Amino acid sequence: MSGLGLAFCAGMFAVSCRVLIYFQSAEMIGDVLARHLLSMIILTFFSLLVFSHIITALSNLYLSGDLELCHSTPVDVEELFVSRAVFTVMDSSWMLIIFGLPVFMAYAYVYRPGPVFYFTVLHMNLAMVIIAAGIGILLTMILVHVFPAQRTRDIIMLLLVLMMGALYLLFRFMRPERLVDPEAFFTVAQYLNALKAPQSPYLPTQWITETVWGSLIGSGGGILFGVALTWTTAAALVVINVWVARAVYFEGFSKSQEAKKRRLGGRRVLDLFAKFITKPFGGDLGAVISKDIRTFFRDNTQWSQLLLLIALVVVYVYNFTVLPLDKSPIRLDFLQNILAFLNMGLAGFVLAAVSARFVFTAISAEGEAYWIVRSSPLSLKRYLWGKYFSFLLPMLVLAEVLITLTNHMLEVSKFMMLLSSGTMFFMVFGIVALGIGYGALYPNFSCQNIAQVASGFGGVLFMIVSSLFIGIIIVLEAGPVYVLFISNLRGTPVTAYQWALIALSFLAAFLINMAAIFWPMKMGLRALREYE
Amino acid sequence: MDMIKLIDLTKVYKGFRAVDKINLKVGKGVVFGFLGPNGAGKTTTIKMMAGVLAPTEGQIIINDTNLAREPSKVKRWVGFIPDRPFVYEKLSGLEFLQFIAGLYSLNNSPALRKKISELLDIFELSHWQQELVGSYSHGMKQRLVMCAALLHGPKVLIVDEPIVGLDPRGARLVKDIFRDQARMGTTIFMSTHSLQVAEEVCDEIAIIQEGEIIAQGSGDGLRHQAGVEGNLENIFLKLTEGKRIAHERPLSSN
Repeated sequence: MSGLGLAFCAGMFAVSCRVLIYFQSAEMIGDVLARHLLSMIILTFFSLLVFSHIITALSNLYLSGDLELCHSTPVDVEELFVSRAVFTVMDSSWMLIIFGLPVFMAYAYVYRPGPVFYFTVLHMNLAMVIIAAGIGILLTMILVHVFPAQRTRDIIMLLLVLMMGALYLLFRFMRPERLVDPEAFFTVAQYLNALKAPQSPYLPTQWITETVWGSLIGSGGGILFGVALTWTTAAALVVINVWVARAVYFEGFSKSQEAKKRRLGGRRVLDLFAKFITKPFGGDLGAVISKDIRTFFRDNTQWSQLLLLIALVVVYVYNFTVLPLDKSPIRLDFLQNILAFLNMGLAGFVLAAVSARFVFTAISAEGEAYWIVRSSPLSLKRYLWGKYFSFLLPMLVLAEVLITLTNHMLEVSKFMMLLSSGTMFFMVFGIVALGIGYGALYPNFSCQNIAQVASGFGGVLFMIVSSLFIGIIIVLEAGPVYVLFISNLRGTPVTAYQWALIALSFLAAFLINMAAIFWPMKMGLRALREYE
Repeated sequence: MDMIKLIDLTKVYKGFRAVDKINLKVGKGVVFGFLGPNGAGKTTTIKMMAGVLAPTEGQIIINDTNLAREPSKVKRWVGFIPDRPFVYEKLSGLEFLQFIAGLYSLNNSPALRKKISELLDIFELSHWQQELVGSYSHGMKQRLVMCAALLHGPKVLIVDEPIVGLDPRGARLVKDIFRDQARMGTTIFMSTHSLQVAEEVCDEIAIIQEGEIIAQGSGDGLRHQAGVEGNLENIFLKLTEGKRIAHERPLSSN
């Protein structure tokens, strides 16, 4: 498993190196592009870190079950806050740091900087984490303080919308689409200026980018100002957080303990919906699925994340509408084929991300009430496959909508449309099985916040395995399509040997898909049976 | 007729024998008390009997059917009440009971609705049935779990610490219900720390210590085995060699 993690890191390192080497081959603008990419990466990491800290801080500072005990001890509120904040920082940032390191190492591999770069990457990443944590925790404290206590969880929804808005604005600020379209600029100098333009001098990510870049190309003393700005901001945020915590943290915690929501809203609609969905599943499974539907819609943290994922899908689809395909120097039909494959991979990744949040967590979502399922006459096999089938249909719809819509925008050939839709259709069976299977292999029934389960070890492992699965299926299909495309282009018939290879590729893809369906389900079932 | 048979039941956790070759038989309509000090293996035994935990060795036979071989069949006859009432907090009390009915494949008939309504009345939860379980107190959740365990008319009721978290009125209610259920032929296997409850409710008692049954029988039988007179507390302390009782040596002298 750690091998899989290492393989993922190695893959990220290889891809990053490849991109940077490609950039270096472009005279004049190579370094500018590499620097711009670095600023985009740092901005993305930073945004994700702030987002992750908000979610984790809400749980660790206000909603965790052990907080009552902590607050009843003689430990000072300030000390308690600091210890929970440190825990939040570690909890929220370890994964991003680990997966971010290969990217920075790729820069080091390509640019061969001195030891100062490594030291800079290390301490600037630490400073970035502290600033992101400072902002995230501060925002959480202020919002919990402002909003009525009974609606504590509702603020997550608002935070998500705010974060989405902020992310969108930041990305629009960088105008990434103009960078792939030099014709939008009157002169080369203007294009270069656009690339060099800083995002905003007030953004910490800009200081971090400048400092890391400076140390990469060895610009010496120029980086000190960035270091000073970043670290003083980090230190200031720590102090401000402690001040604010002293003033409002305990009051916010106390409010969040007040009575939970008692009455139900929209019950009739939910009844009808659950009745309709659960009809084909029979009494016992239907009861489990009906319970899942009700829990899902009554838990704001669940559906607010669904909205976030819908936003992700919308942004993903929107990107295809702005692709300047006609301006590419590559043959359009060839480019469309490449993009269709790329699209399959990306859509598969989006599905894996959605699955990580909802399918992977489906078993853990039973929480401490899992004993009810375990002691009931419902067999674990039926339970597990029931969960599988309940997620299959919505995931199939999402996958087909996603792939058909984006392929339509790419104006791909009918053959590619059919192949993509078919491939996605079958891959969903595997992705959902991986989600349920790994969810059963790594259940967490005691987690207070289900969103955290997806970012745990099992969730990361699921993302890695499903990404590998998607990658392998696409690679297995790309070969045959290339052969068919070239033969069609040259007007030469496909040889018997090539047909055999094509058949073998598709057979291998089919077998891997079958293995991805049954193997994780089998392992998951065994793990659940042995769960103690 | 024996409704429950435990044969050489054993559970080993990473080398530690939490339950060691337990052999027990419990007849139909008997309230069986399962006593023991903390960490003796009571909850582990009960979880294995409820099918929540797999035994390392041995067999659990309920109504002449092996739990390991036909778990779904056996679980239909069993009602389980755990020591901590973890339930789905985003369901209302009524929805929770309907969910349980679904799990046991009970038809959504007028008879079922009547039974749910009766149980909610008996456990004094009717007023709260439309409210989210998340807003219930510990005792209310405990009573809701008891409703759920009785919903499908179990032949065997397995109960872990039934009185914990209940107010005196709730405790009285539960004791009365257990006696009534036993009179109607339900076998009740109950672990408890409360010797008073065991004395009041149980027909037979077994005492478990360090994973082994050290004594078993009726109140008189246990008195005879322990060689002491008096109430169950004396018998229990003698059998578990708990010679140091509270106030024998004041804590302040430490």
